[in-house]
Amino acid sequence: MTMYISVTFKELTRKRVFLVTLILTCVFIVLFAFGVRELTGAEAQNETSPAESMLNRMVLMVLGLFFAQFLTAFFVLFSAMGIITGEQENGLLLAVAARPLPRWRLYLAKWLGHAVWITVYSTILFASVVWTIHSFAGVPVFAGDLLRSYVLFIWMPLLLLSLTMLGSVYLPMLGNGIFAALLYGFSLFSGLVEGITTYGGSPPVLDKFLLLIGLLLPTDSVYRRSLYEILGGADWAGLALSDMGPFSMRSVPSNSFLLYTAVYAAVLLLLGCRGFSRKDL
Amino acid sequence: MMIIDAEQLTKTYNGRGGCRGITLQVPEGSIFGLLGPNGAGKSTFVKMLAGLHRPDAGRALVMGQPLGRPEARRKLGYLPELFRFQDWLTPVEVLRFHGQLSGLRPQETRTPAFRGRIRDTLELVGLSEASDRRVGGFSKGMQQRLGLAAALLLDPELVILDEPASALDPIGRYEIRSLLKRLKGKGVTIFLNTHLLEDVEELCDEAAFLYEGELLASGPLHKLLGGTDDPGGSGHNWRFRLGGWLPETWTELGDAGSGCRLRLVEADESGNALLTARVADREQAGFLCSLFIRSGLTLYESGPEPNSLEAWFLRMAQSRQGGDPQ
Repeated sequence: MTMYISVTFKELTRKRVFLVTLILTCVFIVLFAFGVRELTGAEAQNETSPAESMLNRMVLMVLGLFFAQFLTAFFVLFSAMGIITGEQENGLLLAVAARPLPRWRLYLAKWLGHAVWITVYSTILFASVVWTIHSFAGVPVFAGDLLRSYVLFIWMPLLLLSLTMLGSVYLPMLGNGIFAALLYGFSLFSGLVEGITTYGGSPPVLDKFLLLIGLLLPTDSVYRRSLYEILGGADWAGLALSDMGPFSMRSVPSNSFLLYTAVYAAVLLLLGCRGFSRKDL
Repeated sequence: MMIIDAEQLTKTYNGRGGCRGITLQVPEGSIFGLLGPNGAGKSTFVKMLAGLHRPDAGRALVMGQPLGRPEARRKLGYLPELFRFQDWLTPVEVLRFHGQLSGLRPQETRTPAFRGRIRDTLELVGLSEASDRRVGGFSKGMQQRLGLAAALLLDPELVILDEPASALDPIGRYEIRSLLKRLKGKGVTIFLNTHLLEDVEELCDEAAFLYEGELLASGPLHKLLGGTDDPGGSGHNWRFRLGGWLPETWTELGDAGSGCRLRLVEADESGNALLTARVADREQAGFLCSLFIRSGLTLYESGPEPNSLEAWFLRMAQSRQGGDPQ
């Protein structure tokens, strides 16, 4: 497994998309820190009420983490969309799969190799956003909330990785990239629609549609739960997240739903191992 | 003992292509050549042996282990046809990576003994000068050599090579042929899928011919070429280039009683024809020459067949294309 982690790292660092992602990430972090500092400075001059000020800062946290999860998804999609069929098409898999290693182990090793570096990247992004908000805007962060939010924040791209890898067993590289990006987009879109419907309610058909999308790819639900946790869970989030436009949360994904995401990931990995073991290379 | 024992092995792609009902045995310690035109199903068969394709039907044992099991690939070295290694790795890193894929622990691949093995293997395939260069800058021939190094790294008992010399220059081909002979001397079994008939003729003990997914012939090379069990080969394949050939000439020659089996390879409308025959000795060839002249034909050329495997290959292919198999 360790060899795949190091080979994946070398592979990622030599892809141009990695460099682009890294530059974009640095630009985002710098701009975000600059924006937060300016906005909090302006707030102090305008003598905003403490409650409104806290709400504004929480909005900044939500926006920061929203863009951060978008970047991690971008990282996952571009690094993993050709993980199987891409390597099959360019001949990389032929010599590897003929080695005396069960295919399911090879599949899991590839998943783990990517998962480690996706976790590292997500951790850097999460820590940067939370630290910026905490330091410049003074939003209190508690260790328990931080840990729960962090675990869920890195769980989101790992779910997307499991889906993208499964897709790459069956679909060509580009087709899989489009498939995974569309599903991720649907999930993101359903979250935003749910936020908008917080104000005026929604017809039952829409609720069912949103639930279906959430079940199909629960990344947005996990992200919203992560957000809920970092904003203080039941203490603060209920207050803050009910009035944030498309980022509002009508309901918070339950622990049972999180359990569903664990089963979801396990099933995807199982299907991926099975599909890859039966695949003709 | 048979190192590969396939029985009715079948793999098709939605009912088309691939190979069907292949029953084939490869003796341990031999060099076995798999021949056939493009699209004959050779690569499909090889990929099944290497565990890359799952058979639709049939069974096969590789080194006594059923196909598909990792154990069947433990002592197998495989060089795929269209492959690539990670551009960003050096040959040493590629071989370390493959060592670990074959079950070695990371620390085992860092030992002086394993480093020495990597150095020797790269030297064996002529890549020691490029051992620290990135694979991305390698020519096709160098990639092929590295593929061969990966296949030979862990002292395999069976080496399956899918078009090993396709990207190599004449010197490279000669070196690979010499290497394969040395491996055979060490008792390694080599399964060779190639279009280069001179390689098969020079190296192989046994061969098989696939055509449109079916096995048309298999066995010791001398037997396939000469139709005899005698490895020394009783007689020679002789060719005759003639002029003045008419459609009825074939019957006249048959009636004249040449004493050996003549085969018409090609004939055109201008009366030019190419015939081959298995003759016992030069005297019998001389008798055939006089027979042709007596029959009113012009003898342009007579001599031993330069590449009898090529003729056999063409004969096998033509026999399935509806041509004259004689």
